Amino acid sequence: MNKKPFLLKTTLFILLFIIIGLPFIPLVLSSLSFGWQWPHILPESFSFRAWEYVLFGSSGTWQAVWMSLLIAFTVTAVNILLAIPAAIALVRHQLRAKWLWEAILFAPIVIPPFVAVMGIHLTFLRLGLTETIWGVVLAHISPTLPYVVRAIIISYSTLSVDWENQARMLGAGPVSRFYYVVLPHLLPGIAAGASLSVLISLSQYLITFIIGSGQVVTLPILLFPFISGGDPAVASAYSLLFAGIAIVTLTVMDTALKKYYQNKKTAIEKG
Amino acid sequence: MWQKSKPYLLLLPAIGTIVLLFFGGLFDGLLKSLGYFPAIGETGFELTAYTELFRSSAFWESLSLTVRVAALSSLISAVMGAAIAVSLFMLNESAKSRNTQLWHRMFQLPLTIPHLVGGYIIVLLFMQSGFMSKIFANFGWIGEIQEFPVLVNDPFGWGIILTYAWKEAPFVSLMIYPVLSRIHRSWRDVSRVYGAGNWSFIREIVLPAILPAWTIAAFIVFVFTFSAFEVPFLLGVTYPSMLPVYSYQLYTSGTLADRPEALAVNIVLAALTILLGLVVYYFSKRWNVMKGWD
Repeated sequence: MNKKPFLLKTTLFILLFIIIGLPFIPLVLSSLSFGWQWPHILPESFSFRAWEYVLFGSSGTWQAVWMSLLIAFTVTAVNILLAIPAAIALVRHQLRAKWLWEAILFAPIVIPPFVAVMGIHLTFLRLGLTETIWGVVLAHISPTLPYVVRAIIISYSTLSVDWENQARMLGAGPVSRFYYVVLPHLLPGIAAGASLSVLISLSQYLITFIIGSGQVVTLPILLFPFISGGDPAVASAYSLLFAGIAIVTLTVMDTALKKYYQNKKTAIEKG
Repeated sequence: MWQKSKPYLLLLPAIGTIVLLFFGGLFDGLLKSLGYFPAIGETGFELTAYTELFRSSAFWESLSLTVRVAALSSLISAVMGAAIAVSLFMLNESAKSRNTQLWHRMFQLPLTIPHLVGGYIIVLLFMQSGFMSKIFANFGWIGEIQEFPVLVNDPFGWGIILTYAWKEAPFVSLMIYPVLSRIHRSWRDVSRVYGAGNWSFIREIVLPAILPAWTIAAFIVFVFTFSAFEVPFLLGVTYPSMLPVYSYQLYTSGTLADRPEALAVNIVLAALTILLGLVVYYFSKRWNVMKGWD
């Protein structure tokens, strides 16, 4: 039709390929390789050896996947429960020293959380929390909670007070106001916060390592020895699995939210 | 009474958790870095860990490496991120297609990749016998493995910089894009009326509009890279190491005597990030980055 969009699209496609596509090619090839000498661009021979080892050969893989997801979702559930009331207080209420509360809540975004974890390590040791899932869950809260609070605050501040007032005028109590008016509006924010929380928790290495002392084996803990000088094929397969699990988890959460809204929409249209 | 204390009660669970787990940990670390550790009978305060630290050249080299890596990572990811955001914006303007959503998703892919995996991707791409080197060899640009520059586990930190540039560029574009999407279509039309082409539209209107968000995004990347552990641990060298890795090396070196020093590194790191964080906060409030204009 006209030339400009086409040119732009082509440039964009090349940019996309270089930035997103190219880096994954060696990862995929390496996971399928059986010997890959320099300077061959493709491996000499292919095999599923590494994938067989990762998916079926070592029992540790699925345990680590399960452990990672268990920790990530527990952390996220706790975060949501803590973050919703905090967001309501920060958005809807007049607070004295509001800046102070915000500074406290958002501090772990700026100050690296491993500093706090290293500091609290020996205390956790004395309380018997090291080497336990609960200890790791507690350690994962401070790097993730601020993002959940922030996402819900952003979502909440787009909800006009009028809606809540209208519900109040129609006789809705605080509980049904929250459940029928506020919560549906907050859902995208909660979902965004939850996705971030899951993602951050999934990719923690140092914090899990310090508190878990190598006994709580999540995917990053399992992965590290392989990528720092182990078998490249197995390391690549593990990396792809790890990245895949992160992406699949996020996509599932996103789709679930969209589905929820679609159901709502059709319900309203029908009703 | 209830009405007055209600908001504070709503805040209490979240604040309590952060104070206990996070600030408690910071305080715990601070006390131990000062040599106060009742469990092993140390109840005095002393600054030896800090004076030792400031006297060691390892610390200063580590600090300068950290600043250099953080600065270069944020600069490169800022340029790449702006390029991505502006091209997505122009595409959206010209095509208005549904595909743009898909493009967005694709560009955000590096954000969802865990850091360790991102680091390993850079290892496979840029190590001396890596994919890039193989491509170069096939084009005849290099003849030997050794001719490919050492970009991974190098003392300069290129591997770390490349990883963060790749991973954080989508973050920068994510920060800029909402600002771009507020540039009304009419502005484009007006600029056309006055004879502005694509390039001068970008220079005169788009760039000034995104500048605040852009600067803040780059700064956030800086602070983040400054205190990151996983990638430097994987892609760095043992000496000099970036501050978080240096602290970890001291912490796990085996002797209890080094632990106060490791915790002192952490406290210095925390102090520096607080300072940087305050700078970001000040400018983002002043430029009203998060709110924009209507």
